[in-house]
Amino acid sequence: MSKKFLFLSTALLAVILLSGCASGSVRGNTWPGLSATNDVAYLADGPFVYAVNLKDGTELWRYPDQRSNKYLFYTTPYLTSNGLVIVGSSGSSFSLIALNPASIDATTKSPTVAWSFSDVHDHWVAPPLELDGRLFAPNSDGNLYVVDLKNGQLVKSIELGTDLWAQPVSDGKNVYISALDHSMIAVNKDNYQVLWHEDLGGAITSPPMLADGNLYVGSFASNLEKFDPASGNHQPVEKTNAWVWGTPSLVNDNLYFGDLSGNLYSYNLKEGKYNWNPTTIKPDNWDPINNKEKDESKETAITASPVPMNDNLLVATESGAIYQVDPNGQSVLWGGKEQQPGGQIYTTPVIAGDLVLVSPMNSGAFLYAYDLNGTKKWSFQPAK
Amino acid sequence: MWNIFISVFTSILLWIYNVLGQGPNMFGIAIILFTILIRLVTWPLNAQQMKGAAAMQSLQNDKEWQDIQKKYAKDKEKLAQEQMRVYREKGINPFGSCLPTLIQFPIIIALYQSITRALATTPYGLLQLSRTASPFNLINISSMIPLNSKFLWMNLGLPEGIPLPFQISFFPYGFPLLAIIVAITTYIQAKLTMPPTTNPGDQSAAMSNMMSLYMPLLLGWLALTFPSGLAVYFITSNLLGIFQYAMQGKANWRNLLPGGSKQPQVQAPKKTK
Repeated sequence: MSKKFLFLSTALLAVILLSGCASGSVRGNTWPGLSATNDVAYLADGPFVYAVNLKDGTELWRYPDQRSNKYLFYTTPYLTSNGLVIVGSSGSSFSLIALNPASIDATTKSPTVAWSFSDVHDHWVAPPLELDGRLFAPNSDGNLYVVDLKNGQLVKSIELGTDLWAQPVSDGKNVYISALDHSMIAVNKDNYQVLWHEDLGGAITSPPMLADGNLYVGSFASNLEKFDPASGNHQPVEKTNAWVWGTPSLVNDNLYFGDLSGNLYSYNLKEGKYNWNPTTIKPDNWDPINNKEKDESKETAITASPVPMNDNLLVATESGAIYQVDPNGQSVLWGGKEQQPGGQIYTTPVIAGDLVLVSPMNSGAFLYAYDLNGTKKWSFQPAK
Repeated sequence: MWNIFISVFTSILLWIYNVLGQGPNMFGIAIILFTILIRLVTWPLNAQQMKGAAAMQSLQNDKEWQDIQKKYAKDKEKLAQEQMRVYREKGINPFGSCLPTLIQFPIIIALYQSITRALATTPYGLLQLSRTASPFNLINISSMIPLNSKFLWMNLGLPEGIPLPFQISFFPYGFPLLAIIVAITTYIQAKLTMPPTTNPGDQSAAMSNMMSLYMPLLLGWLALTFPSGLAVYFITSNLLGIFQYAMQGKANWRNLLPGGSKQPQVQAPKKTK
């Protein structure tokens, strides 16, 4: 009996170790997707998509109503012009689902599904882009799917390469999309022809920023790259100290972005150079509360895009802290030490009305709401 | 410490993938080669485990030991003393079969984790991968991302399944061919390594029997649920295990037949000096 118990315990331990450590698996954990209107926050976090009332942080609904292996959500919920919430699943069902929050099922208390598109081969990481009644939806299988917004019918499938993990952007004429396979690609939004397809020498995880008529994007080649949208001609405009994950943010002719070593960059579009020495502005290397250097061994990557707030920026880092950075690069811990959410922040914070929403991983709550001064208003932890 | 262990494993795995040229199918081949490499490194441990298990199993069929068990059935302390004496006399190390397994256990877990980390199918996984490989400078990881996870008909980053013309809810990815092969090869390996027994009360034989049923189900379920890169590792490891047993003449092919595990009594190993 004791040997049976020993064996079963060992087997159970093996299962726990194997499944618990499956960080690279599609079922594994990754950071949530967050978006909001002025009234409701939408959070895609593992098995559920939550709608949270911004007034008090209460749950309005979740989808699906029951946990299922079919669904695993972490794409940023995308809000369409006709009121749908689009989410992509990475569970056993690779579905792009259009939820209708205006129609709540009386039994499940979840929004009804307006349509679902699942004729794809891999999981969804990036949200789609709405353009002229169509959704341009990038999938990890390397295809950009053009779907009719009204009914979810496939309009066109455009094979672009592999692993499309970034939301497309558009200048009204073309769609620009980056890929993990080092590519930046331009597609005509009407005839779906690939206009150009350029290699950057490193994976690109985020959408480019359209600024001063050019496209700017960081990559794992440790460059800030500038593209001419018409021709695809490109050149690295500045080096970075480490890989760049998030999209640059634009504030007053300056692009702000972070890298995986925790450095914060400010690139002046008019002068074509950095505003400060990038190695000197590393918010997490300085502990403003105790006025001392921080523990260097602590991971301090900046994957989230800096969030413009008035003339300043909010910079969220992997150490679970949010910094307010002024145009000169001076940073303070936003709201003070007691207000920090902790955990690890990888998701870009969202400003919704007079609230700033932050969704860390491995923190006490799924979602925190702050006022614009950095004072915590409420937190959201879903009921089981 | 554990993270460094995983980093080393992942770096070696990616280095093999890089040497192979990073093309289609190459990550699957890299997993196979890496598994072979690990099996070669742990070959002496496996051999020792097999030897220890065989010795313990033979002891269960030994007449002298069976008599001692009957004689001291109600005196556990005396039985334990006699057991140690018999171990000494017959040159059996009581930890000879389980210690090598315990040493291998973290290696197997690390190998598994390095495969899943290298595949990096989520943003967080990719962030972890960026940290895993770069400190060792074995490879230029930025040029390798994303890994080409296509192998034969599989995407190694997803659970395996051959598409079916109809949907079975229990098999959402299609017909799980690899999971079935994992279960079969695990069963064969477990059966081949079971020494014959004549003692109906042999607890360790009962354990082996139980394991030969449970382990295929457990590993088959893991292969069904987790990325298929793990299933490729399981199959390679099982086939190499079978090969190793066969090479050492320890494979008991009769066990694959119904009733094949019941054999005439075998002698316990003689003491070696």
